[in-house]
Amino acid sequence: MEKTMKKLSENILDKLSLDFLRNQVLKNAYGNDDTVIAKLDPRVLIVWYLFFGLVPWFSGNVLFLAGCFILVAATTILARVAGLVLFLFLLGVFSQTGYLFLVSLLFGGNAETVIPLLVLTLKVATVSLASITVFSGLDPDRLSNGLMWFGCPEKLSFSISYAYRMLPMLMEEFQNVLLSYRLRGKAPESSGFIGKVKYLIYEVQIIVQAFYPLMLNTAKRSRTTVEALEIRGYRYAAANKKVKKMKLSSLKVTYDDMLFLAVSFLWMAIVFVVISYI
Amino acid sequence: MNVLEVKDLSFTYPGADVPALNHIDLNIPKGDFIAIVGNNGCGKSTFCKVLNGLIPHFITGEFEGAVSVGGVDTQTVEIGDLAKIVGYVYQDFENQIVRPTVLDDASYACMNYAMPDYLERGRQALKNCGLEGKDEEYIWQLSGGQTHLLALAGAVSLEPEVLILDEPIAQLDPRHADLIYGILKDLNERLGKTIIVIEHHTEYIADYCKHVVLLKEGHVEWMLPAKEALDKVEVLQASNVFPPQVTLAAYYLREQGRLERDFVLPATIPEGKEVFGKLDFANPGIYEKKSKGREVLVSFKNVSVSYRTVKGEPKKIYEGLDLSLYKGEKIALIGSNGAGKSTMMKLMTGLVKPNKGEIFLKGIPVHETKPEHLSKYVSMVYQNPEDMFIKDSIEADIAYAMQVRSVDGWKEKTEGLLERFRLKELKNRDGRLLSGGQMRRASLAIGIVLGPEILLLDEPTANLDIATRKEIMKTLKDMEDVTDTVLIATHDMQLVAEWAERIIVLYQGKVVADGSRNEIFGNQEVVEKAGIRPPEIFTMGKLLHKDAFCYTVEEFLQSFV
Repeated sequence: MEKTMKKLSENILDKLSLDFLRNQVLKNAYGNDDTVIAKLDPRVLIVWYLFFGLVPWFSGNVLFLAGCFILVAATTILARVAGLVLFLFLLGVFSQTGYLFLVSLLFGGNAETVIPLLVLTLKVATVSLASITVFSGLDPDRLSNGLMWFGCPEKLSFSISYAYRMLPMLMEEFQNVLLSYRLRGKAPESSGFIGKVKYLIYEVQIIVQAFYPLMLNTAKRSRTTVEALEIRGYRYAAANKKVKKMKLSSLKVTYDDMLFLAVSFLWMAIVFVVISYI
Repeated sequence: MNVLEVKDLSFTYPGADVPALNHIDLNIPKGDFIAIVGNNGCGKSTFCKVLNGLIPHFITGEFEGAVSVGGVDTQTVEIGDLAKIVGYVYQDFENQIVRPTVLDDASYACMNYAMPDYLERGRQALKNCGLEGKDEEYIWQLSGGQTHLLALAGAVSLEPEVLILDEPIAQLDPRHADLIYGILKDLNERLGKTIIVIEHHTEYIADYCKHVVLLKEGHVEWMLPAKEALDKVEVLQASNVFPPQVTLAAYYLREQGRLERDFVLPATIPEGKEVFGKLDFANPGIYEKKSKGREVLVSFKNVSVSYRTVKGEPKKIYEGLDLSLYKGEKIALIGSNGAGKSTMMKLMTGLVKPNKGEIFLKGIPVHETKPEHLSKYVSMVYQNPEDMFIKDSIEADIAYAMQVRSVDGWKEKTEGLLERFRLKELKNRDGRLLSGGQMRRASLAIGIVLGPEILLLDEPTANLDIATRKEIMKTLKDMEDVTDTVLIATHDMQLVAEWAERIIVLYQGKVVADGSRNEIFGNQEVVEKAGIRPPEIFTMGKLLHKDAFCYTVEEFLQSFV
């Protein structure tokens, strides 16, 4: 227990520093704009996601699910998702169902107990990977355009792309504010088990506290942003249908999109053929 | 033809007792390049917001008089229509950029106003603003100067007749400042745009502007051709506007009767050469400041650092850096953006760990110590003072570090610091809501609370007008008894020349020069390589005589008789 705690506090606080987190988030948001997945039309990907994000829930067929899983695993690799996201995915799947599956395997579970767990694990994994492919493979700006095409309100898509523009700035500012707390505050001694726990609590505490100045700073910035949006015609665009059309005219379904859908379709067809033969 | 006509304009903010703008009458001809100068709070920004219609359409208050821009009455049309006539670039320009990539942002307004050729307009604007080829880059990959150009491009894309820029170069190094003004000049001369800048840097006014408007307590004192305006030394100084050093030098010479009485004061170095050419070099000895530090305080031994990047290989900042800083030194760290100044400070605070090498601070191995344990010895004041305010009043902010450490008499010490930094009346205010100069003073007070062995300041004079800069310099001198070793990273060469005893020049992660001010500013090779711009008066002196080393107007007056 002590060892795990020690590891936890060391790993999370020192190795997984905020700097590392920031880098991973940025990598995920901006670092993979040149992958096959990122170049696809967002609408095509959203439709694709509707299939792989929903259908697995309604199937109990291991082969079908395994087929889906292999495909979305392949797209996740194509999307070059950041390591941290994959790690969180693995952790999530394992903590949900994976550990039950392993435990029942280890303690002599037979097919009757193992298969339902395998089905559940595959479902969760497939849907998660499909989400990761779409939401982290596609840059948020394109995603918001895709959503707008399907009729999501302009405000939502503006918020997504604005968050996308502000993210690096906010993270850097958050880091600075947090640093003010770290340097000026007094950290508890971090030796011994109790010390480690106290230190962990302290760190969580200042992370929470640091949000307060961050929000005030952001509010201060937003004075200019609001005025600038007014000058730059944000309000006019929202009232003008023509603008929406112009925005969406950049979306084009290309040969690559068709190929992507065709390959997905072909693969699933093979899976169905195999299932019907068995 | 006048592009701007203001008739008897008055404006009062809701709840304010005195009007921010008071009976302003002003006509600006098309194609002019105008600087608006004046005290803090004289109504410069308010006036500019009247011109683009934000007042009274977006910001309400008591509005009287008439303003017409490009023949259109601002009261009768909407902001959107005015935006196509008047472009505006804020002082905090990074907050007016709302899109993630460059071309997207440059064409954003055009798209919003449903112009079918919005991308083409965006591209053209980027080209006009010197950002060609950066279309697909992300906003956060741009340098400060490029971000400013992008904000300008966003305004230019609508092809307005008038461009207004609020303090365009306050945050930029000299190279970028020249670039911005070069582009404004081009927009003015080639495309015939009328340019209005709010500007403190009178050297730039002398070089680029055609007219100067002096605002005082909300009304126009005068509008004059730039040369005549800068000649009015007393009037300008009364409004906390400081004429170029060359002008000041000539002014004092004239006042002392050492030059004949009736001539127009020079505003630029070539003009100065003509006026001062008749003077003799008195050789008063070389003005020099040298560090006397002997005891090593911080040492870098073979330090290498690189950063993770979003894409590709980690970026190398330092490789094999060796450097010692001595106790009692006043060190200026200079070099262009991205040369590694901030990284060096972060290394000393233990925040960034070197990949290789060792750093010692008073014998403590910084490279293996947590920043928390170093905060007693080293303190850093960030470039952005807002990030230092973590409590809801500056009194609480100053007290915080002492309070949590149960320092004896922390209450009295807080009191003392408030007194020393002239913050007593403001002690219950939130730091964020103070003026620029007050914010800096508060952040300096917070920085020295624990009496650190070494104080690190990142750009302490950025974004400040010259009067406030002078005040900060005075504060720095006052602090000497608390913290005797101070390192400042800065672009402000006047600060460097007047304050520093040792100057370290960084260029692409290497120390390319390290020495006193005469050794650095006198070394033409280093000055050119690292893009250093010595104070104007220094350059003037050097031009007159190769042995002249004068950093202030006073020193210049003693050197030349």
